Amino acid sequence: MEHVGIEPGRLHFSWISSAESTKFVDVAKAVSEEVMSLGPAARLVKKRAEVM
Amino acid sequence: MERYTEEIRKRAGNLLKEGKVDLFIGYAGGSVPMMNRPILVRRPEEAELLQWDSFCGLNLANYLTGCKERIGVIANGCNSRNIVNHIVENQVKREQVYILGVPCTGMIDRRLVSSAVGGKDILSVSEENGTVTVETAGSKEQLNKGDLLQQNCRICTHRNPVIQDEMIGDPVEEQKGLEPFADVSEIEAMAPGERWEHFSRLVSNCIRCYACRNACPLCYCPTCFVDDSRPQWVGKGSDPVDTMTFHLMRAYHCAGRCTDCGACERVCPVGIPLRQFTRRLNRDAWKLFAWEAGMKLDERPPLDAYRPDDCNDFFR
Amino acid sequence: MKGLRSMRTGPTTAMTSSGRARSMKEQVFSKSDWLKRLRALAGSTRIYVPVKEPEFHVFRILGEGVEPDFDYRNTRLSPKAIIYPSSERLFECSLDEKDPACNIFKDVDKDRTPLAIVGIRPCDAHGFGIVQRNFDNPEYKDPWWVSRFESCTLIGLGCSSPGSTCFCSSVGGGPFSEKLLDVLLWDLGDQFMARAVTQKGETFLAQAGGGAEADQVAKKKAEEVEKSAAKRLGRTISADRIRGKKINDLFNADFWEDVAFGCINCGTCTYLCPTCWCFDIQDEVFGKTGDRIRNWDSCMFPLFTLHGSGHNPRDKKVQRLRQRFMHKLKYYQDKYNAGVQCSGCGRCVQHCPVNIDIREVADRMNNV
Repeated sequence: MEHVGIEPGRLHFSWISSAESTKFVDVAKAVSEEVMSLGPAARLVKKRAEVM
Repeated sequence: MERYTEEIRKRAGNLLKEGKVDLFIGYAGGSVPMMNRPILVRRPEEAELLQWDSFCGLNLANYLTGCKERIGVIANGCNSRNIVNHIVENQVKREQVYILGVPCTGMIDRRLVSSAVGGKDILSVSEENGTVTVETAGSKEQLNKGDLLQQNCRICTHRNPVIQDEMIGDPVEEQKGLEPFADVSEIEAMAPGERWEHFSRLVSNCIRCYACRNACPLCYCPTCFVDDSRPQWVGKGSDPVDTMTFHLMRAYHCAGRCTDCGACERVCPVGIPLRQFTRRLNRDAWKLFAWEAGMKLDERPPLDAYRPDDCNDFFR
Repeated sequence: MKGLRSMRTGPTTAMTSSGRARSMKEQVFSKSDWLKRLRALAGSTRIYVPVKEPEFHVFRILGEGVEPDFDYRNTRLSPKAIIYPSSERLFECSLDEKDPACNIFKDVDKDRTPLAIVGIRPCDAHGFGIVQRNFDNPEYKDPWWVSRFESCTLIGLGCSSPGSTCFCSSVGGGPFSEKLLDVLLWDLGDQFMARAVTQKGETFLAQAGGGAEADQVAKKKAEEVEKSAAKRLGRTISADRIRGKKINDLFNADFWEDVAFGCINCGTCTYLCPTCWCFDIQDEVFGKTGDRIRNWDSCMFPLFTLHGSGHNPRDKKVQRLRQRFMHKLKYYQDKYNAGVQCSGCGRCVQHCPVNIDIREVADRMNNV
């Protein structure tokens, strides 16, 4: 995705087991912060169809 | 490469005569310069229609899926890799196909020939020993085949078939010393904003004809994701985000399977360099999994199987 | 040649807003002067001109920074998209339950500025006449197509060098055919000679400031250009006997499987064709807004005839390919008695990725 120009930091991957609740909270917080700091996504976001 | 035509006609004719195959798929000459058309022949005498030249750029493996009969087919390097792919993905059985392997020195890009003569109306094109003669209304020009090759053929390292039942002609030397992923590095040199502009511009002319998808041997899904309606994943109109989504998702579906045959670029009516979508994924398959599609009949592709040592460093 | 330049533009409502030009006098403009006058008109009219882009020519609206190139064979995509866009919002509605107009489809505001296509080729203009039978007839008038077409002036540029895949003259057209044109231009090298065909065309030329009257030299040159163009047309097609054949004889002919093998069922032929008109309606929702959108569709696509029940009468490739050529070369002839649904532009012949050639198919059908 970054290759086509989606800003680094928008897409995250993590392995979290259902038993790792603390990790889940930490990752959720970290991802939210990082994505929010990038601002609203403008690339590859479908709004109302851009047609004539 | 032109000499193979006679051999191909003979061998295909024999296969049909001896009943080794029910049908044979190859190319016949086209009705306009620089075009060949895929044909299916069943009678030995029809083998006379077959031909092979540097304009056989479509991927015949595209016509194998769904066929239940015994098929004879011509295949060069990339096409034969797609046949391997089909076998690995259970689309066709090995015993079902009889492959006439053809070593390939590259296919010519029609567009390069056109621009070499300034876009003039081309009346005829012929080739001999690497020289291509182009006739327009007012001129006759001789061009070098090497200057006219498709982009994927320039960096091809598998010109010889990787699987065949019979070989037409002797193997050709594989190209060495190439920088196979220079085009990917070019994109990586751009900043994210630049990349987004670049790819958006690339698909701005896309008319959603789906020639790329339909020419691709990998795209054989009974219902393509773009044709789904419940749920509808992608809009069907010309909205730029929908169009970009189509191309990105199609590239993803080809990840680890694409043999870079170039058929997608060849058939695009508006000349979009579509391989730019799959090239990075091809490089990733190579770098992360040491994988080249369609080379091994007996190994599962990396996106098909989990191995403990699979690349993991992008996970937190 | 006279016959080709007849004013048989189509039935009924063709050119309702314009009759034959009152004055048939030819005018000349120097090429640079012509461009200047077009630019002057570009404020009040959306003037489409052919523009050279890296891969091919395309029609763009004349404006600052847009340089026309009239020295072209033809655009990759036909200008049909100017009157009939590939995706168009037909209706919109609010999905907000608090809105009194909730769930009621309303018309969408459209740009009503008059249009002009300058430099359109006669085959593409002829194509509009064919499409007009579908969108503008006594039973049904498509408001979107009709309103745009009626406000559009077609200033055609005759073809001095037809291509080897052109066959307009064997389908009722010609490199200097006036069909559907309001003005016809001849390229005389450093100048254009123009003749108004309709009153709409006369108005356009008057608005452009009018040119000098063409002298004998110019008229002679134009005649020569026309004569040499006629000689250069590529292979012709023979479709004259198709009209008289029985539908079932054509439908059950044995060559369809052969022809259809290579077909990859893409939409290239359909989308590049100036005379194809099929579409699909899609409803899309975004937030509290609903849109009804019309998109081009192609009979080559597998899902074209998919019924709501799940049944697909044309789920085999050969059925779809047969349908395309039967429609264009037989059903359309039978229905409208106005020739085939093809204007001979040659785009499908050049760009079909597997080289299925309508000229060859027509020959086969003609000889059944």
